[in-house]
Amino acid sequence: MRMRCALGAAMLMLAVPAVSVTWAEEGPITVVGWGGNWDKAYKEGVWDRYTEKTGTKIVIEEWAGEIAKVRAQVQSGNVVWDLVAAEAPSVEIGCAEGLFEPLPASVTGDPASYLPGTIHECGVASDTWATILAYNADRIKGEGPKSWADYWNVEKFPGKRGMLAQAQYTLENVMMADGVPPSEVYNELRKPGGVDRAFAKLDQIRPHVVWWNTSTQAMQNLASGEVVMTDQYNARVSNDIEKEGKNYVIVWEAGFFYGTDLWALVKGAPHREATLKLLTWFSEPQNQAGFSNLYAYGTGRKEAADFVAKEKLDQLPTAPHHIKHGASYDDAFWVENKESLEERFKAWLAQ
Amino acid sequence: MTGTAVWTGAPSALRARPFARRFRGWGYAACVAPLVIFLVLTFLWPLGRFLYLAVDNSDIVDNLPRTVAALATWQRADGVPGEDVFGALAQDLADARSRKTDGIVAQLINQRLVGTRYLILKTAKLAEEGAFETAPRAAMLQHFPEWNRVEVWSTIADDSARLTDFYLLSSLDLRRTAEGSVAPAPAGQAVFVQVLLRTIWISVVVTLVCAVVALPVAHAIVAVGPTASRVLIALILFPLWTSLLIRTVIWIILLQANGPVNGGLQFLGIIVEPLDLIYTRTSLYIAMVQVLLPMMILSIVAVMRRTPKDYMKAALSLGAPWFTAWRRVQLPLIMPGILAGCGIVFVFSLGYYITPALIGGPKEQMISSFIAFYTNNTLNWGLAAALSIQLLLLLVLTWCALMLGRGLVARRSAA
Repeated sequence: MRMRCALGAAMLMLAVPAVSVTWAEEGPITVVGWGGNWDKAYKEGVWDRYTEKTGTKIVIEEWAGEIAKVRAQVQSGNVVWDLVAAEAPSVEIGCAEGLFEPLPASVTGDPASYLPGTIHECGVASDTWATILAYNADRIKGEGPKSWADYWNVEKFPGKRGMLAQAQYTLENVMMADGVPPSEVYNELRKPGGVDRAFAKLDQIRPHVVWWNTSTQAMQNLASGEVVMTDQYNARVSNDIEKEGKNYVIVWEAGFFYGTDLWALVKGAPHREATLKLLTWFSEPQNQAGFSNLYAYGTGRKEAADFVAKEKLDQLPTAPHHIKHGASYDDAFWVENKESLEERFKAWLAQ
Repeated sequence: MTGTAVWTGAPSALRARPFARRFRGWGYAACVAPLVIFLVLTFLWPLGRFLYLAVDNSDIVDNLPRTVAALATWQRADGVPGEDVFGALAQDLADARSRKTDGIVAQLINQRLVGTRYLILKTAKLAEEGAFETAPRAAMLQHFPEWNRVEVWSTIADDSARLTDFYLLSSLDLRRTAEGSVAPAPAGQAVFVQVLLRTIWISVVVTLVCAVVALPVAHAIVAVGPTASRVLIALILFPLWTSLLIRTVIWIILLQANGPVNGGLQFLGIIVEPLDLIYTRTSLYIAMVQVLLPMMILSIVAVMRRTPKDYMKAALSLGAPWFTAWRRVQLPLIMPGILAGCGIVFVFSLGYYITPALIGGPKEQMISSFIAFYTNNTLNWGLAAALSIQLLLLLVLTWCALMLGRGLVARRSAA
């Protein structure tokens, strides 16, 4: 009896790899997003609709954009992720290093039909987002901050401020607080002494800052009154206003920067063909729009806007009444300077 | 002990032993073999490989072999090198591009000389397309005038050895000057010695506070009756079984500006404005002591239970004041427990990462936070490995100190 059991178990073990091999092609596809409500919006607005239509299962994982994790998978030959949403500079680096696969136009569609910066040799836009200044109107009654200079003005607006604990996305706000218009920020940062100027400005606000590493932390601090204002990703704030009825205000006119994350296909992805099919489907404008309808971030195809509700379009960073206050992140600046500036920022923080 | 001697001993020694004993030795070896193999494969080998990254510099030599060879006799004073070096670099970069390793080369050189990543990547792309096959020097300089900078070439030349002390020096806030001597890093970037001292300091404070708080609790646990003792032990074990994350996050809720602690103090009229309790050194100490205290209490209780109560009674009946009796009789007896507890708490504290990240400000971040940062954020694995070596050395030193302490205690109680 025992013998037969063992034999049965052994046969089962032999059968399992066979089953998984037949599965491998059609998924489940592993997509890696930014977590939380972002992933939820992608699941409900995009992935579930694809699964419904084709039957291909999609598994969602989350990361914080650490390209080292992709590199570790590719170099060890043990790739478990198929599709990752990565920041544009990471896609640039990953593409050059061969961590991501180039996507043919047969998958992405005509590059000319995309908004500037939303299509790359190795990626297609997952979301266009902005880092904005937001405040809690329950804590700041009356007239709120109007500019990044106000964010630095602790006499006029007492209370702590939330700030992202990294150089990228923060130094831009610092320069705006120092009176530089968004369009000039990178020119000033590139000048000799430009970065020193930003760190000198940071020294001024330092005692009043509560640093954050994840949006959840920042929003929790804003809700509890630990901070009265914070820098944040725009949709995160819109989401809490809309879904949780929070009395937050996004100060678009203070100036903001926007950037694009891209879906990139990992080299050696276990379900490469299935993922390419998914990307082909995703590049249809009406399918991209599913995300923007649930979360206040834009996508790549110009025509996608035709499928997004009017009140949702108005919340996007790229809406005409917003974008006149903003400027685009300079990916080239960050590709060259990211490591050195992050290391300097980390050292500055710790001192 | 004999078991170890048998299976690592010389064959002649084996033959001299009776068969049964020899078999027992091999039997023990066979018992632990799976564990040893597992440890070597999943722990020691990867750990060693990662730590080796602290001195490994072979990526440049492996990817730019011709360039490194051509630059062997080149000096900074020679200025921008000649045709042969440019030709070698064009070939190397074209090869690297086809192997998809040009990104790594670009990252490494950009780490040492900021602003060269695109230069390397774009040059590699054109090199692969064959743009520099004839007259490479003129063609490369025409496309990318940055190759006129002597610093770019000296950066490559300086990195042509297979081993480097760059990361180990950096982790001690030191660097090599152009002349090759060791000099301190500029003040704005010197941070690691400070962080190392901070890590040790936080761990020492947490260990001492734990020891002081744990002694009376352990005393009570041993002194009270069996039922009360069991209840007390359960109360200590419950938090230990709760997730570290939950225990840490609860402190955020309690200590925040509008949390119950500040609220209570304001209600009692002790303070007017809420105190800065969270994201400070104090909040970190509170959370770490709470998390690590059970380890200290349990190791002291274990030793106290084995200590006869009669000695203390004898000292008291002979007229010693309570504290003198405790200090001269009881304390030396329970010292091994205190030392073991201190060792555990100190070693755990050294590697703390999640609690400081959640509950401390930037000035509370310890070494592990920097290891994680260099591993994940800037991909500077060499520096991450060098910092890990520091942490490992601290661990070894702590162990040595503990052994020394135990030896001293044993000798004193024997005397």
